[in-house]
Amino acid sequence: MILAASIYFFAALAAAATLLMVFQRNPVKAALLMLTALLSTAGLYLAFNAQLLAVLQIILYAGAIMTLFIIALTVTPQAWRDRPSPGRARLVLGLAAAALILAELLKVSAGLRQLALSPGFAETGALALARELFGRFAFQFELLSLVILASIVGAVTLAAKKGG
Amino acid sequence: MPVFFEANKDMLIFTGAAAVKILVFLNAIMGFTALLTLAERKVSALIQDRIGPNRASVFGLTLNGLFHPVADGIKMVFKEDFTPGRAEKLLFTLAPFFALVPVLALFALIPFGDYIMISGYRLDLQIADLPLGLFFVLALSGLAIYGVFLGGWASKNNFALLGAMRGAAQMVSYEVVLGLTLVGLMMIYGSAGLQDMVRAQGKLLFGFIPAWGVVCQPFAFILFLTAAIAENKRTPFDLVEGESEIIGYFMEYSSMRFAAFMFAEFLEIILVSMLAATLFFGGWQVPYLHETGFIFPGGALLPVNHYLVAALQTGAFAAKTVAFSWFLLVVRWTLPRFRFDQMMGLCWKTLLPLALLNILMTGAVMLALGKI
Repeated sequence: MILAASIYFFAALAAAATLLMVFQRNPVKAALLMLTALLSTAGLYLAFNAQLLAVLQIILYAGAIMTLFIIALTVTPQAWRDRPSPGRARLVLGLAAAALILAELLKVSAGLRQLALSPGFAETGALALARELFGRFAFQFELLSLVILASIVGAVTLAAKKGG
Repeated sequence: MPVFFEANKDMLIFTGAAAVKILVFLNAIMGFTALLTLAERKVSALIQDRIGPNRASVFGLTLNGLFHPVADGIKMVFKEDFTPGRAEKLLFTLAPFFALVPVLALFALIPFGDYIMISGYRLDLQIADLPLGLFFVLALSGLAIYGVFLGGWASKNNFALLGAMRGAAQMVSYEVVLGLTLVGLMMIYGSAGLQDMVRAQGKLLFGFIPAWGVVCQPFAFILFLTAAIAENKRTPFDLVEGESEIIGYFMEYSSMRFAAFMFAEFLEIILVSMLAATLFFGGWQVPYLHETGFIFPGGALLPVNHYLVAALQTGAFAAKTVAFSWFLLVVRWTLPRFRFDQMMGLCWKTLLPLALLNILMTGAVMLALGKI
């Protein structure tokens, strides 16, 4: 009962925070609501007994990525005043697009109900995951880091001013 | 009703024991924090050849300044609680909690003793024994940055924001080193649970040296202590906020909200001390003391009562924590402050490569000894 209650609590919190984030007019507050959503997802993982996933979610997303997002956002001028609300035409168009995507998602997710739950989703899964990543897929795993490095270098090149 | 109690006996006992542990441990830490604020001022006085605070008195009784934490607390409660007009009200109020809560939550993972048997029930002297405890330590300490950053941003003050930027840059950088120094420990103990790590440190090397973390990983200990002091934002790394010279992220805070930030800093001193004791100095281990009593290297035995063993172990943990806290206070009043570029250079150009080297060496030694 406690388990079910915590699952519903964290799921509702994640959904509510995400919705509020979408309708938030201040970028820093929106980022903080995204942080809330990420943390409640970590709570959801904990409730499902996936401790490693929860910890990695907090360390990587909440601790590292969102920190950088929020630091970068606070130095933009937009962080110091709320964005004005958009015109009516854009509002209607945006809601229509959102409704379309939601309908599409619901159609796709209908098939997920038939999937069986995998019971071995506990912390022992971490060892199996590590064996796969550093054993069978070691080459691909290392290659991925090169791709990320290349993308960082590319981003810096694009952002850097010429002759600066 | 008795049927319900009978059916859920184990769960009720578990919940009750957890509540008692939280109450006792949290109160011990809170009391220690209050004393630490006095100790900080007394140590600084000692080092600067002064007497230090000794005037707060209750009916003429001063006890050499022992009532100063109480006087400070009362003063903080009754000060004006000011919120700047342009501040983000909600986030401005939430920021001190963001600073306090991750630190307080981390204490749940610290093992402060082995276990005691009470009428057939085994009571582990740790609030939450998680198999991935060390990862949780890193995860929650990563969240402490938000307290600093929100405090600076929600004040809507450029000086506070600059202080928060310095703080965030420093904490993010040193957290990487902090995480990497602990990898070596996980490798040699083969576990990330803090209680498992402490139990593993009860073994003896060559039959007489306790296998404490500082013996197996002396290099990592120095790196850990440096990174932890920097993460804690104390001198020589107090570029975020220097009481009389540097304007920090909580410049707009007053009264109890300011006190919450200061309290979080003192709690972090205790946390760092407890982590250093747990990871590198055997936690609650007393050398040669086992569950049944002392077993000395020569083979001599000295049986000790079970409750006395538990008391000795918890006492040893408390003594180690106090010793490290004292060390951190002395470091603060001894070393001068780094310049910002020196501090960042130390992190990324010195500590980080050394931490990586430590992991490499640990792996090589373990491979050579055939431990993998």
